[in-house]
Amino acid sequence: METLKQQALDYTLGVLPKEESILFEALLEQDEDAHKSLVEAQEDCARLSLTAPPSRLGEEVRSRIIEQTHPPMDMDPFLGTIEMKRLRENFSAFENRYSGGGGAVDLSDISLTALKDEVSVSYENLLKIMPLVSGDSRAASGDFSKLQQELRSFGSFSDGIDKTLGFELNEEDPATRSVLRSALATLPSLSFFSDRIRQQDPSLGDTRRLFYLCRDQLKIMRASFRDLDPQRLIEDEKLRLHGAGLLQTKWWGSEHAFFSSTGKVRCGHFFEGPVTERCVEFAEYDANMYCLANLLASRSQDGEFHMELMKDAVPGCTLAVATAKMDDRKHASLESIIHGIRKPSADMIHDQYLWTLIEDSMIRGHQCDRLSDLREQQAYGCRRLNGYTYLWFAWPAIPNAQDGADA
Amino acid sequence: MATINTDLWYRIKDGDSTALAELYDGFAGAMFSLSLEILGDRWEAEEVIQDVFAYLWRKPDAFATGKGKFSSWLLVLTRNRSIDRYRSRKRRLDRGESDDTLQAREDTSQTDGAQQATLSDERSHLRTAFTILPTEQRQVLELSYFKGMNHIEISEALNLSLGTVKSRIRLGIEKLRLSLSTLRK
Repeated sequence: METLKQQALDYTLGVLPKEESILFEALLEQDEDAHKSLVEAQEDCARLSLTAPPSRLGEEVRSRIIEQTHPPMDMDPFLGTIEMKRLRENFSAFENRYSGGGGAVDLSDISLTALKDEVSVSYENLLKIMPLVSGDSRAASGDFSKLQQELRSFGSFSDGIDKTLGFELNEEDPATRSVLRSALATLPSLSFFSDRIRQQDPSLGDTRRLFYLCRDQLKIMRASFRDLDPQRLIEDEKLRLHGAGLLQTKWWGSEHAFFSSTGKVRCGHFFEGPVTERCVEFAEYDANMYCLANLLASRSQDGEFHMELMKDAVPGCTLAVATAKMDDRKHASLESIIHGIRKPSADMIHDQYLWTLIEDSMIRGHQCDRLSDLREQQAYGCRRLNGYTYLWFAWPAIPNAQDGADA
Repeated sequence: MATINTDLWYRIKDGDSTALAELYDGFAGAMFSLSLEILGDRWEAEEVIQDVFAYLWRKPDAFATGKGKFSSWLLVLTRNRSIDRYRSRKRRLDRGESDDTLQAREDTSQTDGAQQATLSDERSHLRTAFTILPTEQRQVLELSYFKGMNHIEISEALNLSLGTVKSRIRLGIEKLRLSLSTLRK
């Protein structure tokens, strides 16, 4: 009986060797004493669990959890569109995945010194913020004073974005494209939350959001500029498979902002498993999702938008879809940017950049020189359906992979 | 021991979202405290709690009433998922990868502003019972339960025989059980 009790305890603690675990599980089916021992071990462990010092969960965690019980959005009408049919017929996966190069330039490739400095300063400020918003920081425990002090010590990130976009930018220059990605994918939302923490009563939810945004922005910047922080880039690169969980964690139930436009994100169809391999590839994927969210945040009719990540919808690819209820006028403005119908007005230039960044990334991710081919395949695009605007991009799936890392 | 009604599980199994909300209100705090104690990182601990609730909602049959108390099962599940994360983070650090969170760790020894929740009597008793365990038993239990170390790792870390490690764990657990019943009287 003592051996049985020991086995039950080890099994519950997850330290029973695999073979013995299998034998113990078989025993559980038929041996009442084994079963009793397991229940007892669980009770003992539960008692131990309750010795942990009590901590309170943030309010927003509850709403995120309860949101999981809401029925997911019906994506069938979208998946049945002619665009998706064409994508299914034409999408072909390939063996060599994107491993960096096309999107990555050196900081020294930026010809304007002031612009180069802007990128460096922004990166260094983010490095300073990161430990102040991490999960073991004082801010994560509800003491925001140090974080606010640090954020107030340098200007708003939105000033930096304005400054960056105020330079004479040569949009055809690859270095400029990397600057634009660094300035427009994650940074506007990051800027929104850091300003809110700086100026108002901060909340745990805002701090958590700022943590994920900082983490992503730093990684996107390192993946964009090879020489920005080579040591950390090497460390980023050590993590191979990047799981969808990394994306779901930060998107599920979050508030997203593109400058002053905000929207509540809903997710219902995120698959489990890896989305990309190397960090540079993940940075592409991640930045694309931010670009989709940014394009919708200012146009959503009801202040909500859905982000979905589907794997089986189109064989061989992962399909990222963002959709929001939108009025005709706003949809038309989006269409005009996407199809280049007319020269965008000054207030829409950001949006045009966002779409261009997605297009650049599609070329890299699909390792295809001809954007027109990808457009023809419907590898990315925009579609109006039942009052909703759908934006999507398809990305080569990782075949036969186990669950991705969620570091 | 603090418990939750198994009826909640039946309702969750039937797709009753209010039951999940009730479970959250009554028990998520205990699950989160455990996860935070293991991981030392609020965001990671929140992710674990989200994962556990999502798993329960998607696959309620992972629990069965014959498997013991629902509350115990939930705590063990939370503990094991937290330990998995802790180990995976530790593996990354052992490989020399950086962890910005750990490297730039702030001193958070000040009072945790969010830790103002009142201890329930039950948990207060258990906490007391745990602190009055003999140091050598408490130490082994902490390494085993909250750090996820196996017997060999503990024996190497503390320079003890495997038998001693196992018996200290067992004795500690028994004493905890006994202390709790004494404190309740």
